[in-house]
Amino acid sequence: MAQFLVMPKFGQTSEEATLVKWRVKEGDTVRKGDVVFEIETDKATMEVESFFEGMLLKIIVPEGETVPVQSPVAILGQPGEAIPDPATWPKPEASSAPASTPPPLASAAAPAPPQTSPPPTPERRPTPATAPATSPPPPSPSAPTRLAASPRARALARSAALDIRRIPGSGPGGRIVEKDVRAYMEQHGVDRIRITPAAKQKAIREGIHLLDLRPSGADGRIVVADVDRALAERPKPLSRMRQVIAERLTRSATTIPHFYVTVAVDMTDLLAFRNALKAAGHSYTVTAFILEAVALTLREMPAFNSVTDGRTAQWRGAIHLGMAVSLEQGLVVPVIRDADRLTLAELSDAIQALVTKARQGRLTPDEMTGSTFTVSNMGMLNVDHFTAIINPGETAILAVASTRPAPVVRDGRVVVREMMNLTLSSDHRMVDGAQAAAFVNAVKAKLEDVTLWKSLT
Amino acid sequence: MEKFDVIVVGAGPGGYPAAIRAAQLGAKTALIEREVLGGTCLNWGCIPTKLLLAGAEFYHEVRHADRLGLQTEGARPDYAKLWQRKNEVVEQLRNGIRTLLKSNGVTAIKGTASFLTPRRLAVQREREPLVLEAERIILATGSRSIRPRLFPASSRILDSRAFLDQDRMPAALLIVGGGIIGCEFACLAARLGVTVTLVEMLPDILAILDADVRREVRRTMERQLGIRLRCGAPIEEVREERDRVRCRIGDEWLDAEQVLVAVGRTPVTEGLGLDRIGLSLLPSGHIETDCYLRTRHASIFAIGDLIPGPQLAHRATAEGLTAAWNATQRHPESRPTLIPSAIFTAPEVGTVGLTEEEAKQRGQAIRVGKFPFAALGKALAIGRADGFVKWIADAGTGQLLGAQAVGPAASDLIAEAAVAIQGEWTAAEFGRVVHAHPTLAEAWMEAAHVLEGRPVHIPGEKKTR
Repeated sequence: MAQFLVMPKFGQTSEEATLVKWRVKEGDTVRKGDVVFEIETDKATMEVESFFEGMLLKIIVPEGETVPVQSPVAILGQPGEAIPDPATWPKPEASSAPASTPPPLASAAAPAPPQTSPPPTPERRPTPATAPATSPPPPSPSAPTRLAASPRARALARSAALDIRRIPGSGPGGRIVEKDVRAYMEQHGVDRIRITPAAKQKAIREGIHLLDLRPSGADGRIVVADVDRALAERPKPLSRMRQVIAERLTRSATTIPHFYVTVAVDMTDLLAFRNALKAAGHSYTVTAFILEAVALTLREMPAFNSVTDGRTAQWRGAIHLGMAVSLEQGLVVPVIRDADRLTLAELSDAIQALVTKARQGRLTPDEMTGSTFTVSNMGMLNVDHFTAIINPGETAILAVASTRPAPVVRDGRVVVREMMNLTLSSDHRMVDGAQAAAFVNAVKAKLEDVTLWKSLT
Repeated sequence: MEKFDVIVVGAGPGGYPAAIRAAQLGAKTALIEREVLGGTCLNWGCIPTKLLLAGAEFYHEVRHADRLGLQTEGARPDYAKLWQRKNEVVEQLRNGIRTLLKSNGVTAIKGTASFLTPRRLAVQREREPLVLEAERIILATGSRSIRPRLFPASSRILDSRAFLDQDRMPAALLIVGGGIIGCEFACLAARLGVTVTLVEMLPDILAILDADVRREVRRTMERQLGIRLRCGAPIEEVREERDRVRCRIGDEWLDAEQVLVAVGRTPVTEGLGLDRIGLSLLPSGHIETDCYLRTRHASIFAIGDLIPGPQLAHRATAEGLTAAWNATQRHPESRPTLIPSAIFTAPEVGTVGLTEEEAKQRGQAIRVGKFPFAALGKALAIGRADGFVKWIADAGTGQLLGAQAVGPAASDLIAEAAVAIQGEWTAAEFGRVVHAHPTLAEAWMEAAHVLEGRPVHIPGEKKTR
């Protein structure tokens, strides 16, 4: 009997997933436990194993398509077995027991800003049966809209690198016939367009409309570079990671009333102390000092470790620090749990471990969710000052700029000190300017107080 | 002080065409050269080696003419005469350049140029020095052989220039460097009967070529010409004795009457006074330019061996023409990027565009279509059936991206491949071009058919039903 492979459900939060790659073809024999396809979610990339065995009769979801979890993606059965009528295919919500399990795997892509463990917003959607409106599935090349055109018309259009959909049809119901293609070619002077053989071949393969190409070659010829340019100009769906970043940060920027408070921190003494520690064989990153100072301050001012939906405020006992790490493909925010309970050395180790895992794409979903406050450090990126967008589910985020020598006034004299700007973005529904000022000054005071660090190391 | 629109410094294969083209485009142009017209290419490079090679190759053919059904006896090379002919033809070509410069209205100045300001050059010469000014200056001073310190000053240790300037060949020659220059000289000398040993530090000679092409050249050099190739280890010690030079590699001593050092060439920038105008060099000693061949001073251009890229005369010429255009016209052109090379080893090699090795490194999906000369009537007829041609094509579109030829007339055959690649031809398109029979050029068509999976003249993959 035919069995359906379905898009697995993983964790409580994922609602849909992209089928990135099929590892088997239609007609292949699949055994129980074989990896059949790869998926990408907002959390990670995973391999999915089959729970059944048999021959892969039909692939329903092509590579690159995003579908809700529990959707059927392929049909497995005996060789020669009839494929069930699509009307009888299971719907995502109708599907019961897990058909396949995703072993968590090296995540090539990992998610963007962290999610809070308890859902902060009451209107949070339940696991939907249909794809959410926020990320429409990218157009699938395998399922174009039906278009009436004669085979000869199609062949002619293709051989001339013309997109048949752009050609008006004169047949019954707008059916495109060969005559229409010829008329279109005549009207647009297609015969006079000069294009190199390779450029034409590439345009045909990639389905690029000849008339969309602008020539850059000698004597007005269309060359391969022009086709490549047209390809690059095509809209492409955002990666899952970027879609998640887009959705979460748009929500934050449009629903949370942000305000910003900046202080300049004199890092001279701390850097000197850090160098002394290093010389003695104890190496700490600057980030470790900043996260420690933040964790200590959050304990003093729990309003910044809270969350609001505009009606209720929820204070949280644990301090889980998110730490934004930029990757080539986007941004991940690994979370240091109970950061306030770690010693500086433990904190420093935890940071190193998470950053390494993030760069290798090996963060697990658990390591990327549940933060209560986030620090975004662009210190190594040579910036004077920046503001960050609050992660949904939190009240504030601290933006750390580069440390560099600057003239400052000390005791009425201008001196050169190592200065670093900290900018706190806060949710004005939760806290006001005075509290934010107190928070950043508390962090600043800690960073500037070497005796504190001597007691912590 | 005389003023020009364009001054070109260096009259090699990059500089003199640049000057002629600039003059053709209406610029008042001067060309400054401290030695002789034609540069390394004409005087100590491409042309003299080909003149000598013409004799050497002919001699080699004659000696092996029995396989064509000919009895030849008593042929022997007279190097002094070959050398004399070389000098005469080089002189003739130099005079040709002089005529071309004159007919195009280029002012040729013999002297050594040095920057005073970005637009002003001092010229030291036999007569009183000059100061010249120009709106645009094109630097084309070329390169010279590198001589590692390991090699002491000696009349027995030569670079390619000194080697060509002597009117005799040694009985035993040791060549250091298995690049293009080293291999070409090895084949030249071996065909004239010299006992040749070639030492290359890298694991193989001619590292820029694909392995199958290298293998073909290597086989002929070793088996037919009897050249001893010693790869994979550097020379550690050099001793000059009364009648020979000895080089040590590991525990082995190699002896030769003369040593030819061909380990690379370095740009000639000394004396130009680049520091006076704040033009710094790349760590490699080259001048940095943009794709329009402009240096950091927008009015100063640099071309050829002065800038990074393959050290080839025709590249310098093509860049010279581009620089002349960009120095005189409003809409700049990019430097040419598709540069073929011709290597005059035995057998010859021609290559252009992407190699299999490069495609592998880039992870680019390609198809390769190879056709052996052994399957070509003409090659068999002339008794030169070694080698092959091959296309490298894009796996998706069939676009021809690279070509290599190794075998008879490969240096000429590569021109057709360059035209097809520059014109962005596909294998299918090329396969439809009718080639005259019987010719060596048919090999390209056949190789395109191989790319298409339908070769007529070599066995196809067996079809299973």
